[in-house]
Formats: sequence, structure tokens, C-alpha cells
Amino acid sequence: MPSEHQAIEMSRRHLLRSSGVGIGLLGLAGVMADDNALIAATGDGASNSLTAKASHFAGRAKRVVHFFLNGGPSQVDTFDPKPMLEKYAGQPLPQSYITERKTGGALPSPFKFQKYGQSGLEISELFARTAAHADDIAVIRSMTAQVPNHEPSLMLMNCGDSVQPRPSVGSWVMYGLGTVNQNLPGFIAMCPNGYPVSDKANWQSGFLPGSFQGTYIDTQYRKIEQLIENIRSPHATTDIQQHQLTLLRKLESVRSQSPIDSRMEARIESFELAFRMQSEATDVFDIQGEPQHIHELYGDTVHGRQTLIARRLLERGVRYVQLWHGAGQPWDHHGDIEKNIRKNAGEIDQPIAALLADLKQRDMLKDTLVIWGGEFGRTPVSEGGTGRDHNHYGFTVWMAGGGVRGGVTYGATDDFGFKAIEKVSTVHDLHATILHLLGFDHERLTYRYAGRDFRLTDVHGNVMREIIT
Amino acid sequence: MKSTAILCGNSATLTGHCYSNNPPYAFARYSSASCSSAPWLLAAVFANSFFLTQWNTASALADAPVARTAQADIEFFEKQIRPLLVERCQQCHGEKKQWAGLRLDSRDAIMSGGDSGPSIVPGDNQRGELLDRIRSLDADVRMPPAETGEPLAQNQVADLARWIAMGAPWPTETPLSKRKEDLWRKHWSFQPLRASVLPTVGDDAGVKNDIDRFVVAKLQEAGLQATGEASRKTLIVRTTYDLCGLPPTQEEINAFIHDSSSDAYEQLIDRLLESPRYGERWGRHWLDVARYSDTKGYVYGREERRFVHSSLYRDWVINAFNEDMPYDRFVLLQLAADQVAPGDAVSQAAMGFLTLGRRFLGSSHDIIDDRIDVVGRGLLGLTIGCARCHDHKYDPIPTADYYSLYGVFANCVDQQIELPGLAEKSVAEKSESTDLRRQGLQERIQKLRSLTEIARVDANKRIRDRIKDYLLAQREIEKYPEVAFVQLTGKEELIPAVVRRWHAFLAGAEHRSDPVFTPWIAFSKLQDDEFATRSAEVMKQLFDGSIAINLRVAKAFEVVPGSAKVVAERYASLLAANDLLWQSTPEVDRGLIEECDRQLHDAFYADGSPCVIPDEPIMNTEWYWDNATGVKLWKAQNEVDQWILQSPGATPCAVVLNDSLVQQDAYVFRRGNPATKGERVPRQFLKVLSGETRHPFANGSGRLEMAKAIVDPANPLTARVWVNRVWQHHFGVGLVRTPSDFGLRSTQPSHPELLDHLTSQFISSGWSTKSLHRAIMLSATYRQNSDAPATVSERVLAQERDPENRLLWRSNRRRLQFEAWRDSLLATSGELDLTMGGPGTDLFGFRRSVYITIDRQFLPTLLSVFDFANPDLHSPERSETTTPQQALFAMNHPFVVARARKIVANLDASAAVQQLYNTVLGRMPTREEGLIAEQFLVTAEQATNIDSANARAAAWSYGYGEINEAAGKLNSFTSLPHFNGSAWQGGSQLPDATLGWLQLTSRGGHPGNDRQHAIVRRWTAPENGTVSIQSTMIHQSTEGDGIRTFIVSSRQGILKSISLQNREVDLSVAALQVEANETVDFVVDIDQVLNNDQFLWSPVISTLNPVREEAISWIAEKDFTGKPEQILSPLEQLTQVLLISNERMFVP
Repeated sequence: MPSEHQAIEMSRRHLLRSSGVGIGLLGLAGVMADDNALIAATGDGASNSLTAKASHFAGRAKRVVHFFLNGGPSQVDTFDPKPMLEKYAGQPLPQSYITERKTGGALPSPFKFQKYGQSGLEISELFARTAAHADDIAVIRSMTAQVPNHEPSLMLMNCGDSVQPRPSVGSWVMYGLGTVNQNLPGFIAMCPNGYPVSDKANWQSGFLPGSFQGTYIDTQYRKIEQLIENIRSPHATTDIQQHQLTLLRKLESVRSQSPIDSRMEARIESFELAFRMQSEATDVFDIQGEPQHIHELYGDTVHGRQTLIARRLLERGVRYVQLWHGAGQPWDHHGDIEKNIRKNAGEIDQPIAALLADLKQRDMLKDTLVIWGGEFGRTPVSEGGTGRDHNHYGFTVWMAGGGVRGGVTYGATDDFGFKAIEKVSTVHDLHATILHLLGFDHERLTYRYAGRDFRLTDVHGNVMREIIT
Repeated sequence: MKSTAILCGNSATLTGHCYSNNPPYAFARYSSASCSSAPWLLAAVFANSFFLTQWNTASALADAPVARTAQADIEFFEKQIRPLLVERCQQCHGEKKQWAGLRLDSRDAIMSGGDSGPSIVPGDNQRGELLDRIRSLDADVRMPPAETGEPLAQNQVADLARWIAMGAPWPTETPLSKRKEDLWRKHWSFQPLRASVLPTVGDDAGVKNDIDRFVVAKLQEAGLQATGEASRKTLIVRTTYDLCGLPPTQEEINAFIHDSSSDAYEQLIDRLLESPRYGERWGRHWLDVARYSDTKGYVYGREERRFVHSSLYRDWVINAFNEDMPYDRFVLLQLAADQVAPGDAVSQAAMGFLTLGRRFLGSSHDIIDDRIDVVGRGLLGLTIGCARCHDHKYDPIPTADYYSLYGVFANCVDQQIELPGLAEKSVAEKSESTDLRRQGLQERIQKLRSLTEIARVDANKRIRDRIKDYLLAQREIEKYPEVAFVQLTGKEELIPAVVRRWHAFLAGAEHRSDPVFTPWIAFSKLQDDEFATRSAEVMKQLFDGSIAINLRVAKAFEVVPGSAKVVAERYASLLAANDLLWQSTPEVDRGLIEECDRQLHDAFYADGSPCVIPDEPIMNTEWYWDNATGVKLWKAQNEVDQWILQSPGATPCAVVLNDSLVQQDAYVFRRGNPATKGERVPRQFLKVLSGETRHPFANGSGRLEMAKAIVDPANPLTARVWVNRVWQHHFGVGLVRTPSDFGLRSTQPSHPELLDHLTSQFISSGWSTKSLHRAIMLSATYRQNSDAPATVSERVLAQERDPENRLLWRSNRRRLQFEAWRDSLLATSGELDLTMGGPGTDLFGFRRSVYITIDRQFLPTLLSVFDFANPDLHSPERSETTTPQQALFAMNHPFVVARARKIVANLDASAAVQQLYNTVLGRMPTREEGLIAEQFLVTAEQATNIDSANARAAAWSYGYGEINEAAGKLNSFTSLPHFNGSAWQGGSQLPDATLGWLQLTSRGGHPGNDRQHAIVRRWTAPENGTVSIQSTMIHQSTEGDGIRTFIVSSRQGILKSISLQNREVDLSVAALQVEANETVDFVVDIDQVLNNDQFLWSPVISTLNPVREEAISWIAEKDFTGKPEQILSPLEQLTQVLLISNERMFVP
């Protein structure tokens, strides 16, 4: 990392690597190029650079989009039907577990489940549109977390550790794969109206270099300068900046003696790259140009817009996109779950279905991994009669695309949906699986820090091979 | 270099693990080997080139063969015995595990045996523990144990006996452990400091002090030579940045360049070392080591997230550097000021080093781990943290050593203490208000204390009342998680952390054969289903006289209990009876209470009893309370904290460590998991640094003894590590390139003798860091040019032989770290505020960067983008990345632009370019540069003129003032300070504490709370001409008394005015002559009453007789922006370019 001992003469390849920005120079900027071609063009890629890098083996997924239902969506109202709850309605369950708060009797789901697709996957009416893609979805019903508190569970789900500050999944993927389009941030977290709980820690780079952290976009805004920090100058036009950068380059060239210090050259290039990033970013966030039927597909809502932007980002080579439901924790349904979950699901069902359809029609679903879930699930027993408390003993996450076997369920919770009992899966298992789909052996994707080699899955994690095609 | 990955075989939840030091996925030979596998794996690690070299040496020096044996004997051993040992014995008695202290993987190990003595007597196949055990008929004694499989077959036993009879032949080999020990013994950094002989270098030219002799000698060896001395300009820039983190001023540069005295350079160094700026620069280097932050990291909502004592620590560090505090004392105070300088208020701040780590949601194991890490890597250059789950893979740090230090910190308590002596020093205020604040603090502290006391009495009683339940809970301990999550427990429930505390207490009681609890412990070994049948047997052993048992307890167990429940009940009633006795005994007579009753009383009331929640701050005890009480206590603590944070005049507070009242033993946590406790370990210093003389710490937690061992001059690491860090910050890279890892995985120092020489001098100078700076900076080595050698042949040679400049044939050009770059911008524009100390300040303010608030949870993106030290963990060095995000900041953020504007404002227009170069780059432009710059100014002008959208936005500004109807003008105009993304207002909150409800959005707004705070949307005419104004004013509420609105021209007075409520009014001006810079203000105030005064008013101004070809419209709604910045003038554009140039960013 610290490369203060610069060599006198640098090969072009080395120069590109050390700059961490190289691709733009080669005229490939802004195009969705083949990763392997890029790797060939730019050398093997230093571990800290942002250029596209090879994975351990050919990954099925090249990019990831993660719908994060922050607050903890209820599994028994969405993808894990539990008819037994009817029988115990209002009654204490034979087996109950300690959660954050006191809970009461069983609360049957007020929503109808139905079998969808050829696979007959059972999905609740809340996600009826998403259900049209049932045959692409693998539902993991046996997820577990460690504690029933939001913050540690968010950290676990996003960064692989409940307590210790660690890099987020997106940062690890950036570290491992780099990103294809150097004119855009490679890892983007979008959330309308402000930050989710735990804020930027959810997409932190931790001990990985800062360039791997997620870039946050508040999708309540539409103007580019409100979307990305420092993307626009309020005091110079692009013409002015063009002039300035030409001047900068000119002054550097008359001043610098040969031989060149590669770091200085890289720095000047980073200005030119930033300049190009300004226009590319403006373009990608401007959805005006999308055809009418696409607008209709996603819906003209903040979530529709956010999801459509996500598709545009993925299409342009952004590596990892996280779509948060909203500021705070909108899926934290402690009371009146029937009304609240209907509202929240209603906001994202259409955009999710739209994204799946849109990716498919662009032939991108096959190598785009779509993830759906929260930091934990909710209790099948009621809190205060109409709500559900946090539940880390068993919950649902589903994945689609990018090498995921569609139309299957994996693992199971008990008769009531309280606790995972079959193929019990940890968040580390999920992370191992995600990395596997991206072409990484999660045990070998390591980063040396503080005398140790760290990995996303620490000393845990088993790939869920049954949900991989 | 390829080698295999070594994973830690731990299955616990806690820490990461160790692999070989390779690029992330370059090593593919063994896919997922775990440490629990065979020893060959470890051997594979040694097979990389570094170890190979070391190994050969080690083997060559290995001891002579243990026994000369015939080839046939060896074959017998290899065929029959070794496989047997590997398969049946070594899983428990091998490299990984040594049950009963026994290893059976080398002859030496077998000979020395385990806890019960030697395993074999070579040549005698009748004696020895090994044969006894495998032949035993008692299943409880026989090895291997039944659960690992069948007993050894008859022929296997016979083979073993035969082998022993043969004299236990074992092929000559150096055991792995021996090889490791050899490596350790020889490793450079564990050697005592060696007095170095000064190398003789043939030609004395170019040698200014001892340092140069070492450097030149190595260069000569390599056939290279040093580059000559840098220019005076370069020297003053380099030294000023190095010592003070700032650029030299123009005057300083000129003075030095023209200073003809022979010791001009020496004087320069002395001047810089005396500058208070020095402490700010080097203090920040230390704060990287100390993982400094002003906040605790993530905390639950009930807890104040800011530290009350962070700035005090930061200021103490800065001051310590400025005073040149001896480094050994500097370290000693940071570890144990409470004992080294108990009476000195100032020094207490030093302990922030330990107490400012992340709080990890109150998880003590992680807090302690963080402290061990900051001490280990920060002070000793040892990655002790690696030994949390298993013995260190490379360094001589067994897990037991980790837990020895764990024991030190586990027996310390965080205490918040007031430092009244500092109040007067830090704030020159009227004593009256200081007194008031101090009184306010006292009240809050009192409240906290009394609430805590009430809560303790209450909670302790609840624990005692439920002793039966707490005891029975021990039988299903797995239901009570060790690492608590926030479970909202009620008063009526068992508190999981208290259950766990009982668990730890009973473990200790068992160890010391506690007379009260021995029966409980004995019975607790019985399962429920066997209890009735086996309890009599337990009774018999219990009362066989071998263990003293409290008389009362013994009496309670005259009758055999039928279940664990009965046992627990007996304890419960014993307590109740004892309590009654105690309460009914008058205090004066309590001395007469019998010893057995006293023991019972102590068990439930003494400090350290699990029935007594420790009298410590909530941060240490938070898990022992029910939810409601915990929240209440946190609230009271927060009131104290917030009082301190909000009133700078209040008594400053430090958070120090004190030794606990009652010291508890530490246990190894197997695989780092606190739920699986291993052996007890004494509190003591690291074995590798203590040698043969190690003995357990004797006083309290042992923290002071640990601190003294760290700064003991005989400790080979502490001083070397610090000297190397200082070198690192002067040259960009240390003599040892891994500044916080001096273990076996570190690289050899580039100049080992030099490092020792400097370190010895450092210690004999009284650990003076400033002397060290002087020595380094006066060397010719430091003063070298950073450019490459002049001739191509020299350049090629140097490049070939030492491409990384490890031998220092020139100086390294260094990129400024974020702080120095930011400070240098402010210094150049003349805006740098040199106020020292105090609470954290704003990232975009004017104070030096070292004072910026560091929030480790919400570290500003800007800081991470610029490779700021990760405040979560000790940082040995900063990354150096080059990214477009950095460029975007430099190009587009107002902070840089504002500096450019200010610099230009300070210029005299006549010789602008020359002055600009002087100011920004400290030199005149070359002729070519001058021409380029002048030409830019000409062409840039045009660029400015073709701007459109930004210029329109820049015509608007947003502020407040008071309308003066009589004079027909606005009395004043002040810009609103805060933009929240969609509105301009007084601050991030609405209403703002000082500016109230003032707000402007693109379409409307709200006036301030009184007539002095009318809201104003201002338009400034860019040039002479005629414009029209169209606008509709809407007020929509029937509440209150409505608003007053005005359109006011700075030249022509009030153009329109009207009061309105709940209606819509057209406010247009058909034609208005304006002159350049004339302002037109759209003003609204509250009229009389502040009530429902929000309004919609968004004017459009259009040119009527355009000078240009097209009419221009300024549409308030469309042009609205958070940054109504003026477009940069050409000179400002040029300034910005110079500010972001490489010449500013890289120190030559």
C-alpha cells in the first residue's frame, strides 16, 4: 500500500496498477467490456487497485444487486408459509425462544400463500408480482443470525461480524473483483430519505482501503449534485474545468524532470478520470431517456426509480449495488403488521419483479446475482397482539440469477417458522455462497491486516451447493 | 513465492485467523487446510524462502543426534510405532493439544513426559507411565480413552514394549518445536541491543554524522553512492513539513536561503523543534498508533456516544511531544498514570491511550483485546492479538501469554475522574460561571451516585432472594449466553450476565475449595437422572475429611439430598437464616459472630460475591441490570457526560484505569471462546521478553509492572520500535518496513546496526525524541536530494541494484498526508487558526486538522477517501491511494475553492502570476511557466463568459435581515449558514437554536422568529439593463396574523410591499432599470406574531432589452441551489490549479 519508494522508471503496466485507476487511459472507459479482456489489457491488477481483477475460478455472477429490507421482514408472511399457526392462533407455542421483547401467542399470517410457476414455490400475496419469477428464485428458509438486535445483525449481514468492525461484503467484492467501469464508483448503496440504522458502517471498507467503500446515494433526490458528493462543481463549468486540467497537465510537463515519478503521473490522470466520471455519472442517474414501457414496468415511485437506476448502473459495469428500503428501519414491524407490511411490500414488489424481468430480457440475469432479505426475521408469535418481534433463530433470504438454481427452497424452519431446523444456515454460509457464485473460494479471499489474514467469513462458512446450478 | 495457507482451526466466534503473507489468492496449493490437521502443514509454511534460509542455519546448529541406532531399529519404529503414535496418541498429545501436559511426538517429549512424570524409561519395558496406562484394566485410567476407540490391540502393546526395550530408537531429526525455538532464539528483534562498531568509510566526504557512516558503508558495498545535498529551498520545505506538517512561509524560505551562517541548518532544525506546531504534527503520528477517536463506535441508544475525555488525551499527547517528554515516561504514563503519578491531574489524561478504544457494545473481551493489541503492536511491535485463539503461528507468543495480559486488563476498572486542577488552566473565564458549571456537574454526579446505590441495593437483594434459581440456572448454563445481547429483561427475570457471574465465581470457588460452596460444586457434577442414586456416594466423598466444609453448610447436608433442587433450596434457606441472624445482631456485637456464619455472610455480601454488583461505573456493570434500571443509570451517566461535553468550563474529566478491588484469575479461553475455559494463567509479562527470570506480577492487576517491563531498557523491542517509527516518518519507510510487527514475519531491518546504534543513543539521551530528530535530520543521508542521480549510468545502476531505495541512495519524495495537505491550504491562504487544544472542531473549519473531531463510527467519507488512519484499530502506516474521488474533492469541493479565492483576494493584481507562484509554491515561475499562466488567463476569460446555468444560480443568495420601512431599505443582509440539501436555514435542526425558523426553499420559506430576522431571497444584477419581475406570493394559513412582504432595491428602495394572510397576491414589476451589482431583495417577516408564517414565493426575473442576443431569465425555483457560488475568475482558476498541483502534494 504505501509505495513511497518509487522506482525510477515504471513500466506502463506497473504505472496503471499503482495508480489504481488505469483503465480510463486505455480508452475503455465507460463501456461494459468483458472483464477478462480488461484484465489482459491492464495486467494482473494489484490487490489495492480498482481495476477489474480475476477471481479464483470462473464465477457465475459478475455483479450483485441486494434488496435490503432493513428492519427485518417477516418470513411467515412472505416466503415461509406456516399453516400450523392457525391451529395455535392466540395460544402460546409448544416451543418458544427468548427474543428481545416479551411475546404472546401465535399470530397466523393474514396473507394468502399460493404456489407459483412450474416449481410450485409458495409465495404470499404480498409478493405476487415477484412470484411471477418463482422459477428463478431459491428461497433459503433456514437463515440464522446471532442476536435479535438490529445493529449487531446489520453488521453481521453486511460485514460478517456482529461486534468487530469489518469490511462490508461489497468492499470485499471490490477488493476481489475490482470494477469494470472506472468512471463510476464500483460499489453503490442507495437508500431514500437518509441513512439506514448503523449508517455508513453498513457499506464500510473497514481495514480495506477507503476506495473500496460503498458510495451512498440518497434517492429521494433527482439532481446529480445531490446524489453524489462533489460530482459537480458549483463554481466552474465543464469548459472551465477542461481548461484547468489542460493547464495542470501542461504545467506538470514543463516542470517535471525525467524520469517521471509514477505516483505523480497517476495523480494527474486521476483528475482526468474524475472529470470523465462527472459526465458518466450524470448520464447513468438520468432515467429520463428510458422508454415509456420501462418506466411503466418499474413504476414511477421512489423505489421504482431507485431500482431502475440500479439496473442502469449494473449495465454499465458497476459491481455491487445495495438497495435499501428507506431511512431507519422500515421493515421493523412491531405493531399492526398486516397494514405495515402490506404497505412496505407494496412499495417494492413491482420494482423487484420489474428488475428480474428487465435483467432477463437483457440477458443479464444469468450473471447478475439478486439477493433479497433483511438482517433477521420476525417471530411467528405476536408482540402486543398485532406485531412481531425480532427473530434471529430462523428467517428467510432469497437469491436469484447469477448461477442460482431457481424454483427451490433450501432448509426449513420448525412447524411455526420460529427456528431453523433443517440445513441450518449462518450468515457466513450465505456470504460463502455469494463469494462462490462470484468465483471466489471464501477461504482464500484474504487480506493481511494487523498481523493476520482476514476473510469475510472469518473461520466459518459453508457454500450452499444445493442452490447453485 | 508460493506457499500454503495456514488457517486457524478455531471454531469459536471471535477472531480472525492467520494465513501466510501472500497476495490475496495467489496461493492455491492446499485448498482449505486447517490447523487441526497434521504437523506437515506447519512444516509447509516453513518451506517458503525466508524460512528456508533460517531453517538451514538452525538445522546445522542443531544438537547432536539423540541416539545412534541401527537401521533396522529405525525401520521398526517407522513401520510399527510412529503410525501408532500418530493415529492413536497425538490427537491429544501432539503439536496441537497437550493433554495433561504430555506430547508424544518426539523422543525428547516422551522422555520428559507430562504432568505425571516421564512416559517411558528406555530399555525398561516394565516401568513408565505410558505402558501402565495402555495396559490398565480400569477404563477410567486406560489410554487411549474409550471414547476414541478400541483399546490398543495386544500386538500393538507388545510392539510398544519391544520398542521401549530396544531403547526407544527414534530417527535423528530436529523436532519442530526445536526448530521454532531456534528461529526465535536467533530472531534479530529479540536480541539485546548491540553496541555497533562505526563502519569506516574510505572517503569522509559526504559524512556528516554517524548515521551516514552506516548508510554509506552499505551503499559502497552495493557499489552505489549517495545523491548530493538538496537545495536550501528543498531542505526548508522538507524539514518544515516533516516536523511541523506545514509549508514554510515565503519569509522563512527567503531567510533560510540567504542565511550565510555556518550553522543555518542546525538553527532551522532547532527552531522547528521548538515550534508548538511540532507537537501537533508528531502528536497526530502518535494518535495513529493510539487509534484515536472522539467517539466510542456503535453504542445502543441509551448511551452517550462521545467520549468525555478524548480531547484531553489528544492535547496531552501534543503537549508531551512539545515538551520532549522522555519516551519511556510517555509510555509509562499512558499505561499506568494512576500509579506512576497519582497526584498529578495533568498526567491522568494520558490513560486515554487505553480507554479511548472502541467500546464494542460493552463486550469486555473485545475491549480487552483492543487494549492488548494497541499495547502489543503499538508499543512492542508484536502481534500479540494473534494469540487470542491459539499459540501465535510464527512468534513465541503462546495463548497463555495472551491471557496473562488479558488477566492484567480484566482486573482493571474504567473510572471517570474529575480533574479540578485543569479547569482554571484550560479556560480563562470568570470564576463565577466556572463555579456554576462545576456545581452543575457535582449535582449530576451526585444524582448518578445515589441512583446507582439505590439500584445496587435493590438488585443485590433480588439476586439474594433468588439464590436458588441462580444456582439451578448453572445446570443449564448454555441457556444464558456469555456475550449478552440486549434482551429487555424485567426485574422478575434472571439476569443472564449475573448467571454467568455466578458461573465464574463457582469456578473460582472450586479451585480454592471454598468451604461454603464445595458441596454445591460436588453435587453439581451429578446429572438429574442419576442424582438420587449417586448423591449418597458424593456425600461420602464430601465429608471424608479431606476438604474443610463450613459447619453450617455441613449441618444442612446431614441428610442426603434427593435432587439438585433440594441442594439449591438448602443454600437458599441457609442464606435467609444467616441474613436474619446478621440483621438481628446489633452492629457492635457482629464481631462476635462465629466464623462459619461470617463465611456465609461473606459469600453473599463481600466484594467479589456474585450477589454484589460491583460498585463501578455503568460502563463496567451494564449487563448486570434489568433493562429499566440499566436505562435509568445510563441516562444519569449521560447527563454527567453531556454536561462535561457541553460546558467547556466544567471540570475536565479523564477516564483512567484503576486496579479492581478484588483480583480474579484469568483463564485461557480455548479458541478464543470465553465459554470454554482452559488452564488458569498467572498475570505476567510475555515470556519472550522476560527470559528465565519471569515471575507473576505481584501487585494488583500487575499493570504497573507490565508497563515497567515494557519500558525497561533491557527490553529489546520498545525503543527499537519507536526509533523505527520516527525514522519512518522522516523517510517515508522505516528501517524495518513493518513498523508494528517486529516478529518473525517482519523483514530484516535494512540497516540493523544503524537501528541498534540509534536506539542505544536514544536510550542514553534519556529517551529524547527531539534528540533523535536532530540526529536523523542533521545527517547527510536525510539532506540528500530526492531526484535521481544525474548521470544515466548511475541511475541505471541504482535502479538495478536497489530499485526500492532501501539503501538510501537518495531521499524519498513523499506525498502529503491528508492533514498536512489540508493545513497547508489554510496556511497558504492565511486562514489557518493556530488556536491549540480543546474540543474537536469542524472538518471544514479553520483549525489545524489534528483538532478535527474524529468519529470512528461515522468517519467522514472525505477522511477515508484520503487514506486517513482507521480509528478502529492501531494503524502502523497510512495507505497511499490515488483515486478519482480525491480528485473530485480537489476540483469541486468549496473548501479548496474558498482557499483559492482567498489567496487571490490577498494578491496585488499588478504582478499576479509572480505573486501567486511565490505564495502557493514558494518560488518564482520559470519563464515558460509564466508564459503558460499568462496565456491561460487570456483564454480562461472566454471560458468564464460562456457559462450560463451556474452564473444564473450565482445571481441568487439566501439570508436574513431587518426591513427598515422608514429608510426604504434592508438594514443588513447576513447569509444563512446551513444548507440541508433542499433548504437554506440556521442549522441542521429546524428551528435552529439561534436563528429559529428562518428557512428558504426553492419555492418558498419561513421568516425568522422576530422582525429582526426577516427572511431574504436576494438577486444581484450581473450587469446594467432592464428587467421585469414576475411573482406570486401565497400565504395559506388562517392561523396567526399573517406576514409582511417587500421587494426592495438597494438603489431604488422599496418597490413593493404588502401584508397578507391566507391569500394569493401578484407581486410583479413590469420594468426595472438595474445597474451591475444592484441587489433586489424579496423580504418576508412575521408581522407581529410568530404563528403559521410559512409562505410560497418564487420570483422570475427576465431581461427586457438584452445587450446580448438572447433574453435571460433568472428563475428562483430552478436556479435554487445549496451552493450559490460565484464562478471562479481566471486568476482563481489558475490558483486552484497550482493548489492541486503535484508540487504542492509531494514533498521533495
